[in-house]
Amino acid sequence: MADATVATSPTSSSVIVQPRLPSNDGKAALLIAMRNIWKTYDMGAEKVHALHGVSFDVRRGEYLAITGPSGSGKSTLMNLIGCLDTPSQGQYWLNGKNVSEMDDDELARIRNQEVGFVFQTFNLLARATALHNVELPLIYGGIPGSKRHEMAKQALAAVDLTDRMTHRPNELSGGQRQRVAIARALVNHPSILLADEPTGALDTHTSYDIMNLFEKLYEDGNTIILVTHERDIAARARRVISIRDGLIENDETIR
Amino acid sequence: MSMRSDAKAEVPGYASGRRITLPARIRSFPILRITALWEAFLVAAASLRQNKLRTALTLVGIIVGVTAVIAVVTIIKGLDQTVAQTFSSQGSTVFTISKRPRVITSREDFIKYNKRKDITEEDAAAIFHLCTTCWRTGIVANDGVTVKHGNQKADNVNVRAIAPTSMFDIDGVTVDVGRLWSESEGASAHDVTVVGPDVVTNLFPNQAPDRALGQEIWAGGRPYQIIGILQPLGKIFGVSRDNRIYIPFATYKKNFGLNISRGAFSASGVLVVFIQTQTAEQLEAAEDQVRAIMRNRRGKIFSEQDDGFALETEDVFLNLYSRATSNIYLVTIGVAAISLVVGGIVVMNIMLVSVTERTKEIGIRKAVGARQKDIRTQFLIEAMMVTAIGGVVGVLTGFGVAWLIALLIGFPLLFSVWSAVLGVSMSSIVGVVSGLWPAWRAARLDPIEALRAE
Repeated sequence: MADATVATSPTSSSVIVQPRLPSNDGKAALLIAMRNIWKTYDMGAEKVHALHGVSFDVRRGEYLAITGPSGSGKSTLMNLIGCLDTPSQGQYWLNGKNVSEMDDDELARIRNQEVGFVFQTFNLLARATALHNVELPLIYGGIPGSKRHEMAKQALAAVDLTDRMTHRPNELSGGQRQRVAIARALVNHPSILLADEPTGALDTHTSYDIMNLFEKLYEDGNTIILVTHERDIAARARRVISIRDGLIENDETIR
Repeated sequence: MSMRSDAKAEVPGYASGRRITLPARIRSFPILRITALWEAFLVAAASLRQNKLRTALTLVGIIVGVTAVIAVVTIIKGLDQTVAQTFSSQGSTVFTISKRPRVITSREDFIKYNKRKDITEEDAAAIFHLCTTCWRTGIVANDGVTVKHGNQKADNVNVRAIAPTSMFDIDGVTVDVGRLWSESEGASAHDVTVVGPDVVTNLFPNQAPDRALGQEIWAGGRPYQIIGILQPLGKIFGVSRDNRIYIPFATYKKNFGLNISRGAFSASGVLVVFIQTQTAEQLEAAEDQVRAIMRNRRGKIFSEQDDGFALETEDVFLNLYSRATSNIYLVTIGVAAISLVVGGIVVMNIMLVSVTERTKEIGIRKAVGARQKDIRTQFLIEAMMVTAIGGVVGVLTGFGVAWLIALLIGFPLLFSVWSAVLGVSMSSIVGVVSGLWPAWRAARLDPIEALRAE
C-alpha cells in the first residue's frame, strides 16, 4: 500500500527549488507560490485526491477569487492557503516562507502573522465583545494590552464599528458580525485576507455592503483571496481561478 | 506599491515578530507568553462563572477531601498542644505503682490483674524508705462522689485522697486562695478539703470564690471544711480537670475505707503510689529501684515474668495518644486520597465535556494563531482554577469544622498556614493531573474539524 502511494506521488520535494523572491520583473512581490500541490485523503481502503497538482502565484495587492462547484477541491485549497492544513505533496511558499514543511505550532504562528480569515459563519467567540474578538489574534501574537486595544480599536474603526465595540455577537446584525470578523482578520496586518464565502450567510443588500468593504480594502492595498461558488461575487475580484476536480480549470484576469 | 509595504512596517509588534526573530526556545518561554496566559485565565474564569452549578457540583469531591485533611490536621494540632502542656506540667519525672495498668486491652488481662494483691500503704512506705533515687513519694486514692452545699449539688466530682501534702506538687497543682492542710492536720484525719475551681463555681454560683473558703461541703455523707481553692488546670479532651476535691488520705480512710469493692470495674478506693524524681535522667534508675523493691515485696523471683503490679509513666498515655492520632491521620489520608481521586475523575470528566462543548471556540482560536501550547494551557488553567477554588473552600470548611469541634471539646485552635497551603496546592495538583488529558485532547484538535463543529 505504502509503495503504491509513493509510486503515484507526483514529484519528490527535493527537486523543487524556491521560486525567485522577490521578483525583479517590475511586478509586485510574490506573496503566494504554490508548486504542484497535491492533497490526498486516506479514507481507509482508498485514497481520495482532493487536489491533483495545483500551481499558481499570487502577488502582493491582488484581488483573487477562487471558484468552483462543491467537491471541486476549493475548500481544500482554501485550507492550504490559510495554513490550516499542509499539502500531501508539493511546495507552498507564503511571503517567502516554505509553509508546506511546517509543524502545527509554526503553522499557528503563520496563521497569526500572515493570514486573516473571514468565514461564512463569522466564527466569532459568542461570549466575547467585538473588541475582544478583534484582539484575539493580537493576544496570541503576544502584543501587550494597551497596544492591543489601540490596534483593535483602529481595526474596528476601519470597518465602521467604533460604536459597537462593547457589543457581543448576538447583539449585532449579520453584516455587523461579518465586519467584526473582517476587523479581526485585518488587525494583525496580515499578508493575505482569506475570505471563505463571506456573503454566504448574508442577505443581498448586506452582501453588497460587505463586498464594497472588500473593494475598499483592496484599494487600500490589501491582498484578498475570496473563495466562493457565486459567480457575481467572484466577478467583484480582479482575477478568478476556477477549480474543477482538484485541478485549475481556468485562471484569468478579468479586470 | 511602496504605500503597501509601509502599511505593514508601521506595526511594531508585527515587524519585530518577524524581522528580529528570537530563538524559538526563548520565544516560547512561558513568561514571554504572558498575554496568552492572562487570556487563558480570563477565559477559564468566564467559563467557570458561566457554569456555576456545574462547577460547584464538580468540586464536591475535592472539597470533602481537603476539608477532611484540614479539619483533622487542625484538630490534632490543637490536641497535641493540649497534651504537651498537660503532661509537661507533670513532666516525665513522675511514675506510678498500681495494681492494674490504666489501659487494659483484654478480658484475660483484666482477670489476671484483678487477682493481684492490692497496693498498700506499707508498699508506699517501703518505696519511700528504700528508694534512694526517688525524690517525692505519695499515695493517692481516687473516688467519685456527689458533693453538696445547701441545696446546690455537683455530681461526679473526683475525690483525690492524698498523703503527704507533697502529693500536691507531684500533681502539679497550686493553691489559688486559702491554704493547704498541714501534715499534722492530714495525719490526724481532719475533715478538711482543698477544692478545684469547678466545684466552687457549681456549689457557690454567683459568688466571689473566696466566699467559699471556710464553708462546709458534704461528700459521701460527711461534711468537709473548704480551706483552699486550686488554680484552674483547664480541660483535656473535653474533660475538666478542675472538677475535683482533695482530702487528706487519713481522712478518706476514716470516712470511706480502702479497697472497697464497688464492682469489678470500679477503681474506688484503690491505692496508687506516685513517685517523682528530681530530674528526668534519674527516672529510669528510680523505676529500676522501685521495681526491685516491689518485686521483692510481692515475692517475685527473677525468672518470673509478671511483676504483680503495674509500673507506669505518663508515657503510656502519650504513646496511646500518639498511636491513636497516627491512626486518625492514616484514616484521614485514606479518606482524602479517595475523595481527591474521585474528585479528580469528576473534574476530568467535566473538562472533557467542556472541551467538546467548546470545540468550535478552540477551532477559532487556532485559526487566529493559538498554538497547541496556548490551548493546552487554557484548559489546564481552567482545571487548576476549579480545583484551587475547591481547595480554598475545603480549607475554609475544614477550619470551620475544626473550630466547631474545638468549641465543643475545648482545645486551643491552631490555624496553620502550612496546612492551608498544603490543601490548596494538593487540590491544584489534582486539577493539573486531571486536566492533562482533556487539555491534550483540546490542543490536538484539528483546526479544520474544530471550525466545522457546532
